[in-house]
Amino acid sequence: MGARTRRRLATIGVVALSAAALSGCLQDPDAGGGGAGGGGGQLANNASTDGDGTVTILGAYGGDEQANFEKALAPFEEETGIEIEYTSDTDFTTTIKTRVAAGDAPDIAFFPQPGGLLELARSGDVQPIDTFLDVGSLEKTLVPGLLDSARLTGDPSGDSGVTGAGRIYGAPMRLANKSLIWYPKKAWDAAGYQVPKTLEELTALSAQIKQSGITPWCMAWNADQATGWVGTDWIEQYVLSLYGPDIYNEWTSHQIPFNDPQIVAAFDDFGEVAKAQGEVYGGVQTVINTQVAESMVPAFRQPAECMLERQGSFEISFLPAPIQADLDNEVGVFPFPSAEASAEAPPILGGGDLAALFNGDDEDAIRLMRFLTSDQFGAEWAQAGGWLSPHRTFDASNYPNQTTKDIAESATSASEVVFDGSDVMPKEVGSGTFWTGMVNWIQGQSSQETTDAIEASWPQ
Amino acid sequence: MSTRTQDPELTGTDPGHEGPGIGARETEAAVPTKILVGLVGMVVVGWFVANASLAFAYYPGWFADSKVLIGILALVVGVGGAYFFFYFLNQFVEGLPGRISRGLMPYAFLAPGYALIGLMLLYPTIQTINYSFANADATAYVGLENYRTVLGSQEFRSAILNNVLWLVIVPAVTVFFGVVIAVLADKLSTRGEKVSKSVIFLPMAISFVGASTIWLLVYQYDPANEDATGLLNAAWRALGGEPQSWLQNSGLRLNSLLMMVILVWLQVGFAMILLSSAIKGVPEDTIEAARIDGASELQIFFRVVVPQIKGTIITVFITVVILVLKVFDIVYVLTDGRDKTQVIANLFFAKLFRDSQSGQASAIVVVLLLAVTPVLIYQVRHFRREEMGR
Repeated sequence: MGARTRRRLATIGVVALSAAALSGCLQDPDAGGGGAGGGGGQLANNASTDGDGTVTILGAYGGDEQANFEKALAPFEEETGIEIEYTSDTDFTTTIKTRVAAGDAPDIAFFPQPGGLLELARSGDVQPIDTFLDVGSLEKTLVPGLLDSARLTGDPSGDSGVTGAGRIYGAPMRLANKSLIWYPKKAWDAAGYQVPKTLEELTALSAQIKQSGITPWCMAWNADQATGWVGTDWIEQYVLSLYGPDIYNEWTSHQIPFNDPQIVAAFDDFGEVAKAQGEVYGGVQTVINTQVAESMVPAFRQPAECMLERQGSFEISFLPAPIQADLDNEVGVFPFPSAEASAEAPPILGGGDLAALFNGDDEDAIRLMRFLTSDQFGAEWAQAGGWLSPHRTFDASNYPNQTTKDIAESATSASEVVFDGSDVMPKEVGSGTFWTGMVNWIQGQSSQETTDAIEASWPQ
Repeated sequence: MSTRTQDPELTGTDPGHEGPGIGARETEAAVPTKILVGLVGMVVVGWFVANASLAFAYYPGWFADSKVLIGILALVVGVGGAYFFFYFLNQFVEGLPGRISRGLMPYAFLAPGYALIGLMLLYPTIQTINYSFANADATAYVGLENYRTVLGSQEFRSAILNNVLWLVIVPAVTVFFGVVIAVLADKLSTRGEKVSKSVIFLPMAISFVGASTIWLLVYQYDPANEDATGLLNAAWRALGGEPQSWLQNSGLRLNSLLMMVILVWLQVGFAMILLSSAIKGVPEDTIEAARIDGASELQIFFRVVVPQIKGTIITVFITVVILVLKVFDIVYVLTDGRDKTQVIANLFFAKLFRDSQSGQASAIVVVLLLAVTPVLIYQVRHFRREEMGR
């Protein structure tokens, strides 16, 4: 063999080998869309294997809540033989984004905020629910208003070329009622206070409490990096109570500016509670420095040092253990009143976890989605406490105590449920400048300045 | 490079073996079989490693769905793959004609390392600079818009001011305490020195987030009618003061100063250990000589000891400077930038993850990079001088 022949042979060998190396890679068995899936032709398909009898779920809640959730799924797992792997992550909002971006989406995810869900729906990663759920019958049993929060409207920038606009991308599997006022029942009954029906009566009640020598409101805002969210709930509540759901929705969807005079007025009204001397336990410094979960601690001292706390249904889990043990005798709760008295129950500020499907062609995942979003799901969780069904048709006898039944009742009878505004607004505002703005506001910044700054930060 | 005689490096550099030596006969001409084996080997190893990793991801069933088994196999494939890859790389280069082989050998072995540094360090840096000229989700270029927004924002200017404060105060204070403690500990008995040094060094073992949480409790605020659970407020009240909400108090940037205390507390141990060993390295006879000449202890310290440990002082100072420029955890845990305590790194984090503004976040990082670069250059020069001095 001459040198030239050898060289040529070597070249051929190299070329052949590199070709083999490049073409010889394993292929993803689940790559690409195709075939299955229903109606709309759009198919969201993650990288996990279909039909393998395992469904992966990512959600935000862990600990007891996770245990109760798994308990509620046990009968389903037994009946169908499907294995459910639930992963909890307190930093859900960021994790789901990074996992989807990395091509590692779970089969199902529970979104506490519709904003994050719609962001992923816009990029085509989520399966619209009309392809596998009966939206019409869902709407009949769900609390009104909830499903709409998962509807993808046009691009916020006004670009109408969004595919899948107008379709719904998630269904609620849990309800939170945020329009509640809590009070220590024993102290309340001893003083003989009456449940207020209007905002005016609420103001009169707080004046009455103040006269008896107690600061009326318990309040605590500190939530580390999330400090300020309690304040945003208050403002949202005032906007809803003062102007009703229509103006509220226009405000959260930015059809009217954040610093609209009506909103500034709502800030001022709340200022008469939060900023006034002697209205709030411990004053501003205490509010900023006390952990949210500890806000009602002074209410259960002997004698009570504050009487009223506006907080969502999850307040139950914040209460001290001895109070929780005797909930119905220790704690009372009533819905936050509207500006004017009406025969109808007031609209409520709600929230909920939206279940969304990332694996549109996995029969097991679809079966689980149908179960999770039905009124049959959750009896075991309801009995364990801390969970409300978003369905009006859910069997209320499953709730463990009268307090929970009252909360559920006030949510299911509400004329309308509007979603927590800071969860609907863009992230920069809803979990950014709105939070920090509230902190600045309670420390002395004026309502006008605060709303102007938040409006200026709204993404263009 | 199996044996001495075959080593092209050796034969090449040793003038005694120049010309028709032992090694030269084997390496002057190309050895096609070696080239071929080397190339085929590299390709096969690369193909095998790549497919094995894909199999781990796509077909966990092949490995009995056992994460432990996959982990062990991944380790074997990774380390073994690297070994065989380098083995065949060596074959390939040895097979080349002698002159090329000799020139190429060091580069061939350095190349994978350079490639990794390029992939993990240079590429992200360049991409970050690139993205700093792009919009929020890096889909279109917006020119200098991000820099205009960032430099024009009140929050960024406040962050710069705070970073400058951190920069002026923390390294100096850390080095000062480090030197003082090192000198004083040096005068103690062996046992006393050991114990006191260990105690001062202890905070070094605590993570930044852990330390911040501890100090959050120290600065805790409770209303006047409740018991003080925060150490600082308890002391303050014992002296007759009203409870203070320390971390909200931005007068004279008190809250920022209180957070700097944490970093100093964490880093003094590090400064002390390095400086202490430097002080112990100062030759006893120079101090003796100064004493005989009648110098006071202070004079000895400033005129004899300090000049001899100057190099270490600078090293410690620069290390802390770089640490301070990156300070994030403490601010994130204690205030998250509220009440005028924002710093650049925390602002970057908020822009990227809270606001999803990757363009502006990149611009902030580029500014930070520009600020760190002179310090880095100085440090490299300093180290080089130190090395030469040795």
